[in-house]
Parts: sequence; structure tokens; C-alpha cells
Amino acid sequence: ETNKLYCTSVKCCIFELKAELNSDKKEKKKEAVKKVIASMTVGKDVSALFPDVVNCMQTDNLELKKLVYLYLMNYAKSQPDMAIMAVNTFVKDCEDPNPLIRALAVRTMGCIRVDKITEYLCEPLRKCLKDEDPYVRKTAAVCVAKLHDINAQLVEDQGFLDTLKDLISDSNPMVVANAVAALSEISESHPNCNLLDLNPQSINKLLTALNECTEWGQIFILDCLANYTPRDDRESQSICERVTPRLSHANSAVVLSAVKVLMKFMEMLPKDLDYYGTLLKKLAPPLVTLLSAEPELQYVALRNINLIVQKRPEILKHEMKVFFVKYNDPIYVKLEKLDIMIRLASQANIAQVLAELKEYATEVDVDFVRKAVRAIGRCAIKVEQSAERCVSTLLDLIQTKVNYVVQEAIVVIKDIFRKYPNKYESVIATLCENLDSLDEPEARAAMIWIVGEYAERIDNADELLESFLEGFHDESTQVTTQQNTQVLHKHTQNTPDSDNPDLRDRGYIYWRLLSTDPVAAKEVVLAEKPLISEETDLIEPTLLEELICHIGSLASVYHKPPNAFVEGSRGVQHKRLPARTASGESAESPDAGQSVGGVSDAPPAVIPSQGDLLGDLLNLDLAPPSASVPVVPASMQMGVDLLGGGLDSLIAVGLAGGTGGMPAGLGGTPAMGGGLGDLFDLGGGVGMATGSYVPPKAVWLPAMKAKGLEISGTFARRGGGIHMDLSLTNNAMSIMTDFAIQFNRNSFGLAPAGPLQVLTPLAQNQTIDVSLPLNTNGPIMKMEPLNNLQVAVKNNIDVFYFSCQYPISLLFVEDGKMDRQVFLATWKDIPSENETQYQIKDFHLNSDAASTKLQGSNVFTVAKRTVDAQDLLYQSIKLTNGIWALAELRIQSITPNYMTRLRTRASLSLSASLWVQFAMLYDCGFLEGLDHFVVFP
Amino acid sequence: MISQVFILSSQGDHLIYKDCILMHYSQENSLDLYLKLVGITILLSVQCPQRNKNLNFIHVRHSGLYWVVSTKDNPSPFTIIEFLNRLAALTKDYCGSLSEKSVRMNFALIYELLDEMVDYGYIQTTSTDILKNFIQTEAVTSKPFSLFDLSNVGLFGAETQQSKVAPSAAASRPIVASHGEQVRKNEIFVDVVERLSVVIGSNGVLMKADVEGEIRVKCYLPTCSEMRIGLNEEFSIGKSQLRGYGAAVRVDECSFHQAVKLDEFDTYRILKVCPSQGEQTLMQYQLSDELPCAPPFRLFPTVEKDYGSRLLIFLKLRCDLPPKSVAINVSVTVPVPKGSLSLSQELSSPEQSAELQPRSKAVLWTIPRFPGGAQLSAVFKVTLGFNAHGLYSVRSASLLEVGPISMSFELPKYTCTGLQVRFLRLSPTQPGLSQRWVRYVTHSDSYTIRI
Repeated sequence: ETNKLYCTSVKCCIFELKAELNSDKKEKKKEAVKKVIASMTVGKDVSALFPDVVNCMQTDNLELKKLVYLYLMNYAKSQPDMAIMAVNTFVKDCEDPNPLIRALAVRTMGCIRVDKITEYLCEPLRKCLKDEDPYVRKTAAVCVAKLHDINAQLVEDQGFLDTLKDLISDSNPMVVANAVAALSEISESHPNCNLLDLNPQSINKLLTALNECTEWGQIFILDCLANYTPRDDRESQSICERVTPRLSHANSAVVLSAVKVLMKFMEMLPKDLDYYGTLLKKLAPPLVTLLSAEPELQYVALRNINLIVQKRPEILKHEMKVFFVKYNDPIYVKLEKLDIMIRLASQANIAQVLAELKEYATEVDVDFVRKAVRAIGRCAIKVEQSAERCVSTLLDLIQTKVNYVVQEAIVVIKDIFRKYPNKYESVIATLCENLDSLDEPEARAAMIWIVGEYAERIDNADELLESFLEGFHDESTQVTTQQNTQVLHKHTQNTPDSDNPDLRDRGYIYWRLLSTDPVAAKEVVLAEKPLISEETDLIEPTLLEELICHIGSLASVYHKPPNAFVEGSRGVQHKRLPARTASGESAESPDAGQSVGGVSDAPPAVIPSQGDLLGDLLNLDLAPPSASVPVVPASMQMGVDLLGGGLDSLIAVGLAGGTGGMPAGLGGTPAMGGGLGDLFDLGGGVGMATGSYVPPKAVWLPAMKAKGLEISGTFARRGGGIHMDLSLTNNAMSIMTDFAIQFNRNSFGLAPAGPLQVLTPLAQNQTIDVSLPLNTNGPIMKMEPLNNLQVAVKNNIDVFYFSCQYPISLLFVEDGKMDRQVFLATWKDIPSENETQYQIKDFHLNSDAASTKLQGSNVFTVAKRTVDAQDLLYQSIKLTNGIWALAELRIQSITPNYMTRLRTRASLSLSASLWVQFAMLYDCGFLEGLDHFVVFP
Repeated sequence: MISQVFILSSQGDHLIYKDCILMHYSQENSLDLYLKLVGITILLSVQCPQRNKNLNFIHVRHSGLYWVVSTKDNPSPFTIIEFLNRLAALTKDYCGSLSEKSVRMNFALIYELLDEMVDYGYIQTTSTDILKNFIQTEAVTSKPFSLFDLSNVGLFGAETQQSKVAPSAAASRPIVASHGEQVRKNEIFVDVVERLSVVIGSNGVLMKADVEGEIRVKCYLPTCSEMRIGLNEEFSIGKSQLRGYGAAVRVDECSFHQAVKLDEFDTYRILKVCPSQGEQTLMQYQLSDELPCAPPFRLFPTVEKDYGSRLLIFLKLRCDLPPKSVAINVSVTVPVPKGSLSLSQELSSPEQSAELQPRSKAVLWTIPRFPGGAQLSAVFKVTLGFNAHGLYSVRSASLLEVGPISMSFELPKYTCTGLQVRFLRLSPTQPGLSQRWVRYVTHSDSYTIRI
């Protein structure tokens, strides 16, 4: 009988079935519908039977009814006109006394995607949403989501969304869960209409329902909770406390959804809180438990753990052992475990890890063995104390003479040599013994590099290199490039002069091949090697944060944001971790764009000449022009101390009181009649043309305060040097001579690099432009604002004092481009509390233009990533005192407003100033949007 | 959430196909295209999720069938894998056994189950208590269940028919009895199943020993009545806690099914539950690193070069189980060098066997039955063949290619943690004949001995 259900010939089937469907006997009908559905399952087209099946619908046999509904769901779409025939029965069934039939009807109706039917659906659905039976209500709740997918407008017009919201307070947890699920789905396609209306009261309701729900309902509710942003750390903690019990649930999906909520809300808790530590401890066991599940689950769990370990390594730092591979793990689980082992490797557990890795290197699977050998190398680079042990382990492995192990080992030893130069060259002899067995390009290239790099320590380096040269023409480009450079390398070093004319000739040929300019060639070949980074495959920080918000979802397994793989999700908001907010503070970030806008009428800061404020300055010996300026070299340590001094008061300048920092930098805005519009124009005209950002000249010292001497000026960075460009105007009645200049101690040790060159006396009404080169070797003192500079100018009449502010970009040095890997590692290293966020409004340049312009001001783009409509620019900046700043710029082409963030390790005040500076650069058309801002010493 | 659900035979044929959200954008069957691309066997070896043309596929494998879900958006793969596992378990509960045949015969029932379990891709319920209110279709079994049919008696019934051991087929019938069946059997099975992972270092030191265990209940009782399961009173959780006077039965971590009531657990170690019909896991637990007893097997290997191109491998294997216990289906896998050609062996008894697996290059030594306290030894002589460079002589490198040795086995009526069920009480007592079974078994999960 079974085989009959899966009948082979279609045509005869249809005939027979038609007859059976119209039979009088209920049992026969039922069997016939079953056969129809069986044919449907194997992909046969049985739509021709539609009218006959619909005829069977009016029956009081529930089993038969269910089968007919099953058929309808599949074929109504392709037979819309026929489907109308079923509508009456649907409507009638919605009134049936049996709740099972009511629910069945409303469930099926929603699945039939025929516009004509949806019209008839509204009334029955409205009734079912208020049905007395929870089973019907929960089915109706889902039906609203279905209907919304077919006709969103209809759902809104009919007020179903409000009814759905009411269901969140339903007495039955199953109804609540489905209502939450439906609302979450609907609100995903309408990010603006805040359907779920999450507030402390509704969150409380959800948390209560959480305890009563089925496991699947708990998942809906937890996922919904994860979208909420608590007002402060206290609320965050209380939600965490109520979610934590879910961690011991047997259903791994519930556990992961709970982990997601906790990982997200933890972000808001202060790290010194006891509860924070407790929470960290509670997160480890459930994650470990996941690893005892079947391989499918293990794999998705490991991918998630990989993210969690990158974000919060402290959670699993004591759990290294659970990541040791089992021999019967599938290869994809093994590779994932290996990756996590390296991430968790530290000085404390390195011995154990190495012992394991060594065992793995003798396993059968070639891919896994290779990765294990690489892992040993990564351990050496990550944990310096273990390097020696790693090298000896690798040597042991080379002794096995297993071909692919040897080659892989040589590749990683090369990396170790690069990380710790001149430390382990004693092993070179062993490496050289294995030259013959190298047949993979990467291994050959690595060996050539080693031979070339340590040529002076290898007696027969020429012979070795020559042996590689024999196969020159057969080699892949990777090897030949390495050969070329290394042969050249030897020549330029001139260490062992080759007696072999053949080799010499070849070398010269390559020499000419590469370049006709020996100096350039030397630069190319002997250039500094790029840094070897500890972790080679870190996930970019913003992506990592977004993925943390998607823990437990496919995105967290693919390690890609959802919009990279979900169709039709473009423009969907990227999720972000909440910023830490203490109770009572506002969660909203200050709007920098506005503070920039509200700046313009602050007066230029001029220090009155009699003021005691400049006590220090008054005592300065103002030397005549010929005398050299005393130079007090500032140690780096001083600079760091200064900036790390916790002078948080200045943050007010950068944040709320942008007025404090801005006007001086812009220099005498009122004098220029300054609106922001002017600034834009000026920015376009002045700043953009010269590359580096130069603020317009401002009047620093008005004539009336300086006995007729007017000084206006600006700062510029030219040719790697800092210049103060001054215009001195004599408005007095007499000639001015004997000019001298002196700076007070300032934040970055700026000091004149030479005397003020005003050689000719300044006549009445004459203006002279002087460019004063500056250095940063002067004495250091923390200023407020940070970029404030107090200046004393002396002439034959008197000594005048004024203060001005220089753009911080003045201090951005030319070698501020960070290596990509170092950037990633450093970024990760900076705690997220050191980050602040800002928003910049209205900008119009694309990322390339912004990048080019910023590069003019020594803000270097390290990497660029494009996700959808967003460009992410990762940028690095180095200040003259060795402080690095890392920034992430998020440029969106759709909306002109951005969230920006500021992250500081060294000093909040420094970053605040930097921020102000960036806001300014932006206003002048330099900067499009600043997202992350990170500063560290 | 879930877009489509498939149940595929091992050949890749559709047994069940449900389109949860009616994917209006494509009529063609995406999974078929995908499988045409990669072949059904790929599902065996790849991780999930897999992505193909805007769809993500997540699959699990149970009883030779593939259970696949496709999704369009970004749902939780954990949810889906858990769901697929439940679906397989429920199908087994409702159809009695899980096979291509039983799924084909019961497709209408499975569709009905799916309809109640998933609505518009949202998972509604997987509990038999709720589902039994809705399900109308009766299960079709291939042959009437008979207690006397012991043709496929497996592990649990293998030992002694006289003792109170349930035949394994007893637990493979539908939970909902069909009307044709005359005698309804009120039975309940409580299984304590442990999986053991061990790594023994080359110096014989126990490097890692983990136990993952669970208590499973399979219930055929028609009505819900409360069941009380008493565990060892000295059962303790966590490193610090210690109960009882003797050697404690200790685990590190414990998690429970949400239906389990724990009010008597802290004091009396009693689990209270009203079991739903069908199979559930009541409790899961883990123990790492501190086994209360010695690992069940000790291996003393010696690998030597023989003259010419031969390797000699001596293995001495000791079973450290208590004398009353026995290990069954023991197999020892010894990886040997790639160039191995042939094997000759000396084994101590005729029921043992050993062969060289030509593809994986490993010696497989199987021992059907291995009583506690016994010791077996074996000698394997492996001849190495030629490799690309000429004669494959025995170098020290070849010795390194031998190992690590892995073992698999089953230990019936034995738990590594020592966890026992003291009693199993039903209240109120079920009317009519009700039988309660408690079964223990330990499986090897990964048992590795490095040499």
C-alpha cells in the first residue's frame, strides 16, 4: 500500500485520484487526499485536482480537513481563482465551535498568498485575535505577521498592530511569545515605527512572561530583550539578573539568546562592579556545556565562542582544556577549536597548549596538521616567553621529515625570525638540511628569505641561493620575487663577495632588472620589514561589535553582518553595543554638530597685559633676536604623564562647551563676520588647496591692547615642520624694532626653533609677514584648553602677551600610518570604556575624497571596508609626542547624520581636544564623519 | 525564521517537504538545485549552515535520514538544530522507529506534526503533551509490535534474557497506540547514558578525562502522573560541595529539563517530573578531569623496527573495570605509516580480529567482549611498501607516524561517575500493569592513547 502512495505514473494517477476524491466513502476520500499530498511531496504537479480536493473540505472529519488545508496551502497561490471557492468554508470554519478548526482556518488563510482572499480575512482575523481560546489567539497573532507580509498597508489600516500590542499583556505566555515574535518581525521591516515600544514597564512584562513560556517562546522574548537599551547600569544589572537563570536551560538556543542579552548589557556595567565579575564567571559554564553537544551544534557554538573570546577573553581564560580536539571531531570542529586555542594562549597555559599542538602535528589529516604547525608559530609570536620552546618544538617536528610538516614549520620559523630578529639563528643549520625537500612555493620563499637575511652567518649562502636559482624559470612569482630581493640583498650588503662569476652576473642582471637606481633598489630591498602581528585574523572592531549583537544567529556563524547575506535587508540599522552610562547621566551622546554650530560669537582670547595669570611667562627672559632660545628637551614620559593626568575638567570643553575650544582655533570668528557658511567657503578655498589643514589667520593681539602693534596669525604644517605664520602690523605712530618672541610652557612642548626674523624695522602702517619655525622640544605643561598657547612678544616699546590656539592637526606627524595588523590588535587592546561617541551632521563628500583630504593633514587611512551603503575608514594619527590615535570613520551615503565615538586611554582631555579639532576639520570640508575615536599612548 | 523543512532519504529523495512561508519568489526547489550542485554525500562532511543562492541550509542527520531546514533571513542556527533534533525525536516517538520506511508510511502524520510545530516559520511547540491535543492521524507501523520478537535485540538486551533487562525493541514503538492494538503496555524507561572522553599521554599519565552524561526518560504512560527519580544521596555538584560519607558521586555541572521540579533535589536528590509521552532528556551533566575510578582501559604499546621494511607493534591492553562488569564491542585503531602494505598479527583468542584498513592506513583490532580485570595482548607486524623515492625503509620518522591509538567501546550497566537511580516511583500508581525500567550504559566518545 505504501508504494501506491508513491505512484510513478502521473497521468493515470490524476484520473484515478479524481475518482477516489469524489467517492462517497470518507475513508477512501482520506486515502485519496493522502495520495495527492504524497505526489505533491515528491514534486508532481497535482494542481489539476484542486476543485476535487476543495470539495472534500466540507467535512466534520478533522483529519481529512487538515489534509485538505495542507493541500490548499501549497496550491492556492498557483490557482487564485479556484482558491476563492474555498473562502466561504474558511470564513465558516473561523466560526466553528471547535477551537482547533477555528485556528486551523485562520492559520491556513494567512498562508494563502492571494490578494483576493486577504480581504475576506480581516473580519475573521479580528474575531480570532480576541478569541476566548489561547490556541486560536496565538495562531491569529502569527497570522497578523503573515498578512503584513502580503499587505502591510491593510494591516495598519485595520488596526491589527494595536491589537497585537495588546496581546503582549495576554495572560497566556504562548500568546505573548507569538505576539512578540510577530511584532519583532514586522518592526524589522519598519525600523522607524517603534512597534515594540520597549520601556521599563513593557520589559518587566516580558521578563515575567519569560519564566512561564515554552522554550521557543523564551527565545523570541530574549531576542526581543536584546534590542532594548537600558537607561542606566542599574536597569541593565537588574535585567541581567533576571536573564541569568536561562543560562542553565537544556535548550542551547535559549542559552545563546541569553548569552547575547548578557554580552550586550554587560557593556553598560562598570568593570569594577562586583556583579560584573560574577556575571563573567556565570557565562563560562554554559558555553563549555555547548561543546559536549553533537558536532553540528558544537560548530555553531565554537564560531560564537570565537567572537566572545575576541570581545571578552577573560570569560574563558581558564577553560583552555575544553578546546583540545578529540580524535573523532569532524575536521571543521578541529580547525575552529585550534583557532580558539591560539586566541586563549597565554603565558599561564602555553606549556599545555604546546604539548597538545605537538600531538596534533602527528595526526593524519594534512590540513589539520598544517594548521597545528602554524599555530605553534603563532604561539611563539603571541607569547614571547614561549618562543624558545616553540622553536624547539618546531625543530622536533622538522626531524620527523614528514614533508608537509617540514615545509609548514619553515614557513612559521621565518615569521618567528622576523618577530625576534637575531635570536634563534642557531637553528638555521637544521633548516638548511631540509632544502631539498621543499617543493611548495611558500616554503621555498621562506627558506630563501632566511638564507638571504642571515647570509653573513651561513658559510655557503651563495651556494644555497644558487641552488634555488637553478630552478628560477620554473618558480612561481612568490619565490622569484623573494629570490630577486634576496640576491640583491646580498649584493647590497656586500658581505661575502662572491667568487662565483655566474652568481655575480645573475645578481647584476636582477639588479638591472629591478631598478637602474641603486639607491632606490637598496631602499626597496633593505627596507624595514613590516611588523609581524600577533593575531593575524582578528575581526575588525566595529564588525565584532555588531556580531556580538547578533550572537546565536547565522551572522555570528558566518562572521558577517546580516545585511551581507540576507536579501532585502539593505538599509536595516546596524546593531551596536550600548555605550556605558552611569545612573543619572543621559544616554544620549552630545551632538557635536550642534556645538560646532553654536560657537561663532565667542571673543578671541586675549590675555590682558597686566594679568597675573601669566606669572610664569613674566619671568621669562626675553632674549634679543640673536640669542638662542633656551630649549628644554621634553621627555616622552613627561608628555604621557601630562596627558594621562586625569584632567577631566577639559572634557567639558570638548563636549558641552564646544565654545571653549572652537573659537580660538578658528581664530577671531567675529572679526571675519563669521557664520558657519563663511567657514565652509574658507575651508574650501584655503584648507583644501594646500593639503594640510590651515586655519585662516586670526587677530591674536589687537592694536589697541598692544600699543599699536597688531598681530594676527595662524599655524601650518609644511614639509614635515611646524610653522607659525604671523602678520605684524604697526598701527602706532613710531617705528618698531627689536622683535622677540617667547612661548610659555604648553601641552606639547611647542617652542620657536629660531629667533623671530624681523630684520628691518617696522614702519608706520606697515605689515610684515613672518614665518616662525617651531619645534616640540620646549618645556611641557598641561594647558586648558589643551591646544592653548601663551605667547609673549617683545619689541622696543613693551612686552605684550596673548594666547592663541593651534589646531591639533599641527602635531600630526608624517609617519603616522600604522600597519594594518598592528592597528587591529591595538584597537582591540584599548578598552571600550575609553571610547566616546559623537554625531556629525550634514556632510557631502564621499569616503575617497575625505580620505585624500585627511591624508593631507597626516590622518592616514589604514584600511577601508564597505558594507552596503556604508564606508568604514580606519585611520591612524601619530602626534609629535608619540601618542597614537586611532579613528574609525563611518560614512553613509544615504543619511547625512552619523554617530561618532570617541575613545581615550591616555586622557579624556586630549581626545576631547582632538575631537574638537576633528569637528573643525570636518566643518572645513575635511572630515565627513568621525565614528570611533581612540587615543592611546 | 524557518523557510522550508525537508526530510531527505540517504539518497537525497524528498520524504517530507514543507514550505513554511511559501517562498513566493521562486517556484523551483532550491534544495534540489543545491544538492545537484554538491551531491547528497556532501552533507555528511560539511559543517552547517551552508549557504547557497540567498538561502542558508542547516541539516542534522538521524537514523540515516537528513533533516534539513532552509532559511532566508538571520535566525539562530541553535534554534534550528534544536528544532530538527526535536523533530526527529518526535517523529520517532510518533512513528515508533525512525527509518526511511517509517517516514514514508507516516508522511501525513508528520505533515500534521509539522503544521502544529511550526507556523509561518515560528516554532510553536515540541512538547508531546501539547501536541497530543491536536494530532489526529494515527501512526502506521510496519509490523505489530511484539515483545517476543527479539530479532533486533541490541545492547540492552544482549546480556541475559532472564535478568530484568528490557528488550531493546520495547522502546521502539509509537507512543500513541493505534486502535488496532489490543494490549496497551504502560511502560517507562529511564536511561542513564554517559559518554567518556579520555586522553592518556605517551608517558601513561591521564591527561584529560571528561564524562558527559544524561538521564533520559521514555514514557509510554497514557496519563500524566508524577514520577520521582531518586539519585544517589551523595551526588554532589561543583568542586567544593561534598555530600555523604563515602566517595561522593560528583559532577561539575548539571542542567535540567524545564519540566523537572527540583524542590526535593537539594536535600534528597530526588527529581520530580510529570513525564510527557515520548522521549525527553531530564538531566544533563558533565564531569571533567576527576574520574572517581581508573579509566576503563590501559594500553601498553611498544613500537619497534624489525629488519628491512617491517614495523613491530606490541600492544598489551588491560581492562580496569570491576570484575563483574564487561566491555563490549571494543575496537582499537592504530594508525600506521602511509606506506604500510600488509599486516600479520598474533592475537590471543579466536573471537578477536585485526585488519589493516587500506584507506585510512590503520590497524583495526576488534574485541567483541572484554571482561573487567582481564588483559589481552597482540602483536602486529606491518610491512611497509615502496614510496615514490624507492624503498620505504623504516626510519625513525615512520615510528612517529604510528599512533595516536584510539579506542571505542560500550560499557553496559556501568556509569563512570557512579551515578545510580535509587528508586523510580510513580504517584499515583498507574492503573493496570505498569513496568518501570532503569538502564545504564557508558559509551566511548573519544578515547585516545598517545604513544
